[in-house]
Amino acid sequence: MKQPPGLRAWLFAATCLAPLSVPATEVANVLSKFDRAMATFNPLGEHVRKPIERAVPRLTFRGALRQWSDVLIDTDDRVGFREQDFRFLQLQNLLELETFYNFAPGLDLNAVTHALYDGVYDWQHSDGLFADKLDRTAEIYDNSERILREFYLSWRTPGFDLMVGKQQVIWGKMDGQFIDLINGMDRREFVQLESEDFELRRLPTWMVNTTFHFGRNSLQMLYIVDFEQDRQPLPGSPWFSPLIPPTTAASDILLPTKRVESGDFGDHEFGLRLDRSAGALTYGMIYAYLWDKNPVGHAIGTETRGASTLLRIQPRHERLHHLGVTADYATTLQDMPWMGTLPAVFRIEALWTKGVRFADFNKLAAARAGGATDGTAQHDTLRAAVAAEFGLPANTTMILQTSYYHTFGWNPALGFGFGGGFGDEWSLIPLLFLSRPFAFTRDRLSANFTAFPVISGPDNGWQGIKTKLRVRYKFSQFISGQLIYNGYDSGDRNDLYGQYDEWDNFGWELSYEF
Amino acid sequence: MNSDAVMSRVSRLAYRCLPVCCAALFGLAAHTQAADQTWRLVGQLTADERALFDPATSTPRDAALPYAPAEAYPFKPPYTAEEMGYRAAEFVHIARWPHSLIDVFGVITSSGYINQGAGVSYVMLSTPAGFDGYLRGVAAGQVYSRWSIYSVFPPETEAEQQLWVPYRTDAKNRTKMDFFVYSPQLRRVRRQPQPRRDQRFPDNAQTFDDVIGRDPWEFDWRLLGADIVHQTVRFPNTRPTITLNSAKSGFVERQTSDLKPMGDDYPHYRPDGGVDCWVVKAVTREDLLPDYNEKTLIYWLDKHYFYPVRMEKYDHEGKLIMIEVRNAVLENPVRESMGYSAQMTVYWDLEHDIMSYSVHDAHRPHDWTAEEQAMIFTPEFMRRQWLYEPIKSQALIGDPKHYFLRPQLYRERFPDARRIELSPALAERYAAQEAAGQLIFESGGGDATAAP
Repeated sequence: MKQPPGLRAWLFAATCLAPLSVPATEVANVLSKFDRAMATFNPLGEHVRKPIERAVPRLTFRGALRQWSDVLIDTDDRVGFREQDFRFLQLQNLLELETFYNFAPGLDLNAVTHALYDGVYDWQHSDGLFADKLDRTAEIYDNSERILREFYLSWRTPGFDLMVGKQQVIWGKMDGQFIDLINGMDRREFVQLESEDFELRRLPTWMVNTTFHFGRNSLQMLYIVDFEQDRQPLPGSPWFSPLIPPTTAASDILLPTKRVESGDFGDHEFGLRLDRSAGALTYGMIYAYLWDKNPVGHAIGTETRGASTLLRIQPRHERLHHLGVTADYATTLQDMPWMGTLPAVFRIEALWTKGVRFADFNKLAAARAGGATDGTAQHDTLRAAVAAEFGLPANTTMILQTSYYHTFGWNPALGFGFGGGFGDEWSLIPLLFLSRPFAFTRDRLSANFTAFPVISGPDNGWQGIKTKLRVRYKFSQFISGQLIYNGYDSGDRNDLYGQYDEWDNFGWELSYEF
Repeated sequence: MNSDAVMSRVSRLAYRCLPVCCAALFGLAAHTQAADQTWRLVGQLTADERALFDPATSTPRDAALPYAPAEAYPFKPPYTAEEMGYRAAEFVHIARWPHSLIDVFGVITSSGYINQGAGVSYVMLSTPAGFDGYLRGVAAGQVYSRWSIYSVFPPETEAEQQLWVPYRTDAKNRTKMDFFVYSPQLRRVRRQPQPRRDQRFPDNAQTFDDVIGRDPWEFDWRLLGADIVHQTVRFPNTRPTITLNSAKSGFVERQTSDLKPMGDDYPHYRPDGGVDCWVVKAVTREDLLPDYNEKTLIYWLDKHYFYPVRMEKYDHEGKLIMIEVRNAVLENPVRESMGYSAQMTVYWDLEHDIMSYSVHDAHRPHDWTAEEQAMIFTPEFMRRQWLYEPIKSQALIGDPKHYFLRPQLYRERFPDARRIELSPALAERYAAQEAAGQLIFESGGGDATAAP
């Protein structure tokens, strides 16, 4: 039976206002009881971690359970080449277990294991989501490579560290990746992947990692025997770009990617990092000889099908030389209006990369016409960032960071390449970040806001803006929850953020650590 | 019995009977007050006390450090109020000698939400130990110490590390420290802006200056009088024992009722266990601390060593905003009277009714070798995720009901200098706590009746 609109509104109002009729003291009592119950709620800590550590005193065992979900706000529609007939972008559940066994002072064995299940492929009916059929790890970690994330032996002496095994190495201090380039990354969230996710999304590799410490200096040397490439969003995954057309009979022939071989000494990678701290200033330099984590297609021949000439494309990884610097400086600005003193930190980070391989569409056309070219071009790139972080009153933090990406010798026929502008000669992201807790919740509630506008030149100009609002609440010292809104606005359909105009989403994250 | 409650009852009794037999009861009330009153204004000091106090407000200045008294530290009696302030600066939250300890800390709200942490802390000094080393052993603008903190609880922050590199400051050199944080989630060492000095840490009642200490020359000092303090940190009746980690004898279970404000070795307790104190008032100097949130601080300083067993903060309207109480212990006997350090500290923020605690467990004076100094106290060391010397504690609180009591208000003491205004709800919670001997949360009665 159809209800009259007035009745429906009345019922809605009554439902919303019902809690107000409960005395405030009763609500406070319930919340207080909840708080006190949560204060000691740590079942896995009490019944798993403690008994294990008691039985094996040299073992440290800890873990976390995380659930995070993102739901599209916009209506289902066809966007570019995508059928956006799904609501959930992720329904991910992760169990992480970390164990450290101490054999002797300074000698430890470390292992980190992950079990991940993403319900987006099972828990909603969608023809547009099928990546789990192409790669099972998009849905569930079902192989030892993904489950055993880290496994390494570490030996530490006052002047020397040695870590051998599967591990992740993080360089740099900035938000985002500038000189952080050692490990590959699972980029399934693509434009929504941010610094706080890197720990879970990085792809650890087998390596020998040594660091020498002398005075206020340290020198780190890496010898990487195993290569892990980036995992970009797969076709049929929630963040697969709507700009990429599906493969058809008229598409060029894509051959398997030429593998980098772990058993070949010539394919191994190297890295060096030097750091020094001198009072208010710390600085460092890096050099790395690595493979490009993303292969570039080389035209190695043509085939004629009917009236069409198709290119035979072989994706290959390219050797790259990277040279980077990082520095930060702290000071306290005096006599600032309204706030007196203003603590501040300034950071800078830059990476110059030599000979990045790009797809060159003019050369590809020439190759299709029978020209002697593999359809690629090499250009140097620079990616850099300058940031200022301020400690404002009311525990408010503000970060202004400008990230810059440049392709030297750019021309409009170039595709994407490591470190360069986003489909353009240069790209600029003037990021704003604000964060503060709220005293009326006794600081249990905090919020942060980030805006990532992208501007590129000389061709594209404004490429859209991503905004993120995150509200975090601490239920207890073991459990926290977050609500997150991500918006992608303006820019053209071909732009970095503009293509995801219909991907505005709302999410939540629950985390329990024991 | 709680002295607040005594005074309150005496006042009520006197008020009710006043119209009936004013003259007789005046004598009784005055007698009761005289018997219970622990505090005296400057004009009421005893002869012994007057002999120890120099009322001068302007004394010769040091030629090299014009903001400091010319007389050599630690001064000789009689002491001016300013000299008492300088002596109190000996006893900041982090002891002024090289040491290691585990800092167990936490916060509780009026609803019973509790959040705790524990961090293994190593402290080295680049100056001689003590306040004199800070004052004269290093030039303003130079680093005087380095503090390394390795988090071991809760699981969310395990292996998080901080490096504090505090600077000797003066009117020209205002940067208090370099601050580095290592996050295992990010696996990066990040240099952070130093916290704002007068701002509560998030989810805490403690400010940055409560931890790092305040320079005495940033205040104008005045003696309010003398007082006796019997209790500082108070345990609830639900927590009869606490297990502390003694550097000498390992884990030792102590009766909480046996813990004293100045520890077991203090030789100057009164027969009833009280600690004789000077009460001094420190007013922020606007020229040195413009826009500082705390206008006035009132310290209760032990009369013999000038150890601050209690401190109160007042805002620019003169309202009480925070109370800090400490239980000290002679942690470094080699330094004799200057070897006391806070073992337990409770901070009560009255505006938000949140209460923090800090237990410095397993304190051990520690002479770091040159190699250790060069290795441990650097930002790069944090990347190694190396808990160099593990230290354990069992001082974490297992249940909100076991949390420390809010400090006593002492409403009747120095009423002209202390403006105490509690919201009705807070006053109710405070009264309920005093009656029950444990914290009473917003659900009230059920827990009160359940109290043993």
